[in-house]
Amino acid sequence: MGRFIKDFKKFFNYIVFSSKAELKSEVADSFLSWLWWFLDPLLYMLVYSFIAVVVFKSNVPYFPVFVFLGLNTWTFFQKTVKAGVKLVSSKKMIVTKVYIPKYMFIFEKIGVYGFKMIVSNLLVVITMIGYHVPLTWKALWIIPISLVLVTVTFGVTTIVMHFGVFVEDLLNVITVILQLGFYLSGIFYSIEPIGEKIVGRVPAPFYEYLIKLNPMALLITDLRRVLLYNENPHWVMMCVWFFVGVVLSFVGTTIIYKFENSYVKVI
Amino acid sequence: MAEVTEKAISVTDVKIRYRVFKKISLLKTILAPHKYKKTELFEAVKGVTFEVPKGQILGIVGKNGSGKSTLLKAIAGIFSPDEGVIDLHGHSVSLLSIGVGFVNKLSGRENIYLSGMLLGFSREQIDEKLDEIIEFSELGDFIDRPVKTYSSGMYSKLAFSITAILETEIMLIDEVLSVGDAKFKKKSYEKMKSLITNADRTVVIVSHSSETLRKLCDTILWLHEGEVKMQGSCDEVLPKYEEFMS
Repeated sequence: MGRFIKDFKKFFNYIVFSSKAELKSEVADSFLSWLWWFLDPLLYMLVYSFIAVVVFKSNVPYFPVFVFLGLNTWTFFQKTVKAGVKLVSSKKMIVTKVYIPKYMFIFEKIGVYGFKMIVSNLLVVITMIGYHVPLTWKALWIIPISLVLVTVTFGVTTIVMHFGVFVEDLLNVITVILQLGFYLSGIFYSIEPIGEKIVGRVPAPFYEYLIKLNPMALLITDLRRVLLYNENPHWVMMCVWFFVGVVLSFVGTTIIYKFENSYVKVI
Repeated sequence: MAEVTEKAISVTDVKIRYRVFKKISLLKTILAPHKYKKTELFEAVKGVTFEVPKGQILGIVGKNGSGKSTLLKAIAGIFSPDEGVIDLHGHSVSLLSIGVGFVNKLSGRENIYLSGMLLGFSREQIDEKLDEIIEFSELGDFIDRPVKTYSSGMYSKLAFSITAILETEIMLIDEVLSVGDAKFKKKSYEKMKSLITNADRTVVIVSHSSETLRKLCDTILWLHEGEVKMQGSCDEVLPKYEEFMS
């Protein structure tokens, strides 16, 4: 734990600088590529709107905001975890030449995708203004919710990164699991009922289990609760998942510290 | 040289093994589990002990595959020995190598910061040395262009300048680098020589060329198949090594 804090301080500047560098190099190719940070969620929102509203006759209020919130949060989680699988071998140039605690690369990715998430969440702000969504003090819950999101994402990615070094087809497995996670997290449908009029897509006792057991479903549902529907989040479950996230991160970084010096021998 | 007994590097009975097992595949493990039973062990360094006093220059010789580079990487902290201890007595260390973590789409200037931070320097320390690095690299206006537009010579000039000018107390050199055109080669050799001969700096050089080592080193360690075959001054070890290799 002490080592973690010491290393984090030591490499903090590197994390910030290299995250910026990665974002910059993405934009360097074509000046307008940052536009895709908006266009991506915007176009996907249109796709899901078509499916949900036209095909499934959804009547969720503020549907575009509803989708943006789910999509941006999910994309952050999904991209970070997926990048984690091949992270060590993709940094071969660095790993074989200097010592750096390998989970720093995860922080770098969290920096990159976190920044993109914030940028695409401007869409949420814009559409919320457009729909005149009434904002209350409950919106402040987004701070602890984001903290839980980052902790869980980091924890899951540390474990995935470690096994990604040794298991060559882990990416295939993770991709399928993430696809399942995508459908089980209620990105374009509501898992639970909203208010009294709108029924959730998952039947009665099951939606509660889903929200409790799938952290992404929980986080996304609660973001919508506090921002759109003036409701309190499941704060007990939030605490539980924060705790789980911390444990995962602790286990993950401990494993990485223990084995990272043999990563070089495998890649 | 004054008699200083302060140690810079202590390597005690270090063993480094490579596990010769390929990556695992989940699918193959399920379909053909018996194939993954065997994990061969290959010992690259088999119990090596030596010490380098502060300010000394140690040369490591040996044929290909004798564990020289592996040992150097272990001293650099890139991977830890499976047995034994490497103690650097709190000195900072860097492995002089080409292009640590260059991001091709970024400018040379930004890459100086990235590499420098990876080597453990703070932003301020790099700020201080920035002009010197740029001047030494002879890149001129190219420093603000993306690294991908560089010729391979320019690329290695920049990489060399970064590691040569951001100095650490212990420098590890895998094959004395000669990069760039004839003029830069001479300059980089001179720079390296001045870095190496600085009385406070401890240097470990790995090389095949006994000529370079004779010119630069105080003592020589001869590794053979992961074990120390001989250790001593240049005049003692190098002739025997040459004889052995010819």
